[in-house]
Amino acid sequence: MVQLNSQYGREENTNEARKIRVIGVGGAGSNILDRAMLDGIDCVELATANTDVQSLTGSVTNQKIQLGRNLTRGLGSGGDPELGLAAAEESSDEIQAAIAGYDIIFICAGLGGGTGSGAAPFIAKLAKDAGALVLVLVTLPFTFEGRRRCAQAATSLQLIREYADAVICFENDRMAELTLPRMGIHEAFAAADLTISQSIRAIANLLLQPGLIRVGFDDVCAVIRDGESRALFGFGEADGENRAHDALVKALRNPLMHRGDMLASALNVIVQIRGSANVTLGEIGNVMEELNRHISDQTQLLMGIAIDSGMGSRLSVSIISSLGGSSGHAAKAAYPALQEPERIELVPETAVVSESPLIQESPEPVVTLKLGNEEPTNGRKVKIPRSEPLNLAEEESTAPKKEVVLAGKPALKPEPKQIEARQEVLQFDAVSRGRFEKSEPTIIDGQDLDVPAFLRRRVKVG
Amino acid sequence: MARDNIFVGLEIGTTKVCVVVAEARHDNTLKILGVGNAPSRGIRKGEIVDFETAKRCVHDAVVDAEERSDVEISEVFLGVSGGHIRSFNNRGIVLLEEDREEIDEQDLEDVRTNAREVSLPMEDCVLHTIIQHYYVDGQDGVLNPLGLFGKKLEADFHIVYGIRTRIQNAIRCVKELELDTADVVINSFATAQAILDKNDKQLGALVIDIGGGTTDFIVYVEGAVKQSGVIAVGGDHITNDLSIGLKIPSARAEKLKMEEGDVTLGNAFPGETIVLRDETGFAGREIERETLNQIIHCRVREIFEIVARQVEGDQNLNYLGAGVFITGGSSQLRGMEHLASDVFGMPARVTQPLPLAGVTSAFEHPQFSTAIGLVRYAHLVHLDRPVVRGILSRTMKRLGGIFRT
Repeated sequence: MVQLNSQYGREENTNEARKIRVIGVGGAGSNILDRAMLDGIDCVELATANTDVQSLTGSVTNQKIQLGRNLTRGLGSGGDPELGLAAAEESSDEIQAAIAGYDIIFICAGLGGGTGSGAAPFIAKLAKDAGALVLVLVTLPFTFEGRRRCAQAATSLQLIREYADAVICFENDRMAELTLPRMGIHEAFAAADLTISQSIRAIANLLLQPGLIRVGFDDVCAVIRDGESRALFGFGEADGENRAHDALVKALRNPLMHRGDMLASALNVIVQIRGSANVTLGEIGNVMEELNRHISDQTQLLMGIAIDSGMGSRLSVSIISSLGGSSGHAAKAAYPALQEPERIELVPETAVVSESPLIQESPEPVVTLKLGNEEPTNGRKVKIPRSEPLNLAEEESTAPKKEVVLAGKPALKPEPKQIEARQEVLQFDAVSRGRFEKSEPTIIDGQDLDVPAFLRRRVKVG
Repeated sequence: MARDNIFVGLEIGTTKVCVVVAEARHDNTLKILGVGNAPSRGIRKGEIVDFETAKRCVHDAVVDAEERSDVEISEVFLGVSGGHIRSFNNRGIVLLEEDREEIDEQDLEDVRTNAREVSLPMEDCVLHTIIQHYYVDGQDGVLNPLGLFGKKLEADFHIVYGIRTRIQNAIRCVKELELDTADVVINSFATAQAILDKNDKQLGALVIDIGGGTTDFIVYVEGAVKQSGVIAVGGDHITNDLSIGLKIPSARAEKLKMEEGDVTLGNAFPGETIVLRDETGFAGREIERETLNQIIHCRVREIFEIVARQVEGDQNLNYLGAGVFITGGSSQLRGMEHLASDVFGMPARVTQPLPLAGVTSAFEHPQFSTAIGLVRYAHLVHLDRPVVRGILSRTMKRLGGIFRT
């Protein structure tokens, strides 16, 4: 869904304008930014930071920061986070200059490699020190990329969490659900990049664009800061007669949403509906009604509506939320049987692919190989740091874990199952017909009139 | 054998069984002799679900009416309702033979039969074929074509039909009590006779009878029945909603609805509560008044909206000069007329039966609209009889059809 002109006709609201800087770190980071650039994200300023000059020159962003000019001499970091960190430290002045004066800093990186894993936490720290709101969007490596990279990613993620206000994690394994197994690797990564760039764009739009019902900077901060820095994000856009429903379904289908079932354990949910002036109240009502089924009673729903003439006949739904700490535990208690993480077992024990042409970051020539004696222990430690961030996903997801992609054996859609499970809950409260339980149902215009009208109309009473 | 001028209307409602005994006087007015009443059981959504129990209730009501009116009841006009009852409009055409030019009774009979010749599902039977308009040789506005010259007689009819077996249940219930059923009348049609005068019918009116189990409605435009319908939702649903929404027993919800119910939103002070008391008068839990009203509001609004949609679908909403008339037991909820005029966008009022002579004061209540309408209907048929001979025999023929299977 390439929209080059979606921003045309936008009115600048200078009072509310927040300056947003998006920094892509490492090969993966710059790929995401390229994608975002192609999709027309002109309301924010993009910058790329990389150790690899080749990759940096290929980037289409305006501002480029070469990390570790002296240290790596324009070559990559060779998959070594320490080198990546050192390179970033060397270029800290340039980075500081790039982030100065911005209210919100997005950092995009692919974790697991050298530059992304090493430099991203450092840049996050600098941004935080500069007083900006730091949102980090990272991709976690595929399981088949090997345990070493997974471990590096996990360590880096922990560091990032310390500085970032919110981390949006894209697990590549999960991203594979976006594409078909036989699809080219380029397309698969492009799909992943697209999802991430959509996220950036949606959040940026949310923050920058004037809304009919506005969701502001403060709301986003509240939603993302309250949580345990694990963000949920969904974006969907659709056209046609049933666009409201389709857009929401797409948004919920986003791999980060876990098809909406993660929403049940979120404390705050922001939903923004964007469309041109032809958005009807009915459509908004439909979206909200459907979304309401996915959230719990305690969830606070913040609704934003933005009228953007550039949208034409399309309508988009963005959902942003984060998992609150306590609610996460609640979810844990609610699904005790489903906590068992199976993912670790699926890691091929023998497959230790430290560098593979399939990795998301562009292959970087190995310049320095720092083989310390902690290297083997690193390998053994794998399970501990790696399982930690991923476990979060396991706990709250009711989905049977099948998403691991092993050499072209990808996750097939567990989606229908999800829907079934969800509907069972729905039926539970929808079929309260009271004394008419056993009588012949009265159905007019598709509504079971024996079910209390206030329940069907979702009027909150009491 | 009952006297010729005594009419009895029997309504087997979801909440109560009601029997009205009336006498036609020499000046062609009706006088109510007595009304019998019994709370009903075994009826749900206007239909019998427990035959024996329902029969006992009907029996009680009939006995009550006999005692009060001092009349031995032998024949009743039976009101029926239920979600299975449907209706449509159809036109019948009759071409007179070459050598004849004057329209006679047989032609009127034929055009009616012709209009009814539509393929209904096997299990259905026609309850009413109500004349709307006659056309002679394409000429509009013929009130009574009898004796007029013409070659072609056309007539529009409003045809009401329902599932045969379900109607038979009600008839059998009466029959087992050694009573004859003179005619079966749909409730909405009967109610309209009690509520609307000639002028209202001519101006155009919508009558909504919200009873316990069903909501019956009928539309009159230019003096003719344009549309009728039954929605199997009524006061019981409001009670059920309250019971579920407030988590209280049904009986408590019913009492709460009758004592405190209001369909208006925003009428209560913020935080205003109602204390629920049990039978012994001990205060139990408190219920917020706005919550109570909101639950009722949702349901009643929905009922009105369904009716409005159906009436609007037939483009009849613009022809209701006299407005909306609301009656039936549930019309007693406060604020009904405001909500109705809000939904329909025209004046609405809660009405009770037009005054009749006799012991009426106690029964001038929306609850009795249908039962009183039944005797009015009976009276109209009776008045018509000397003029249009054979209407009752046709009625009997129709009923014979019902009985046959």
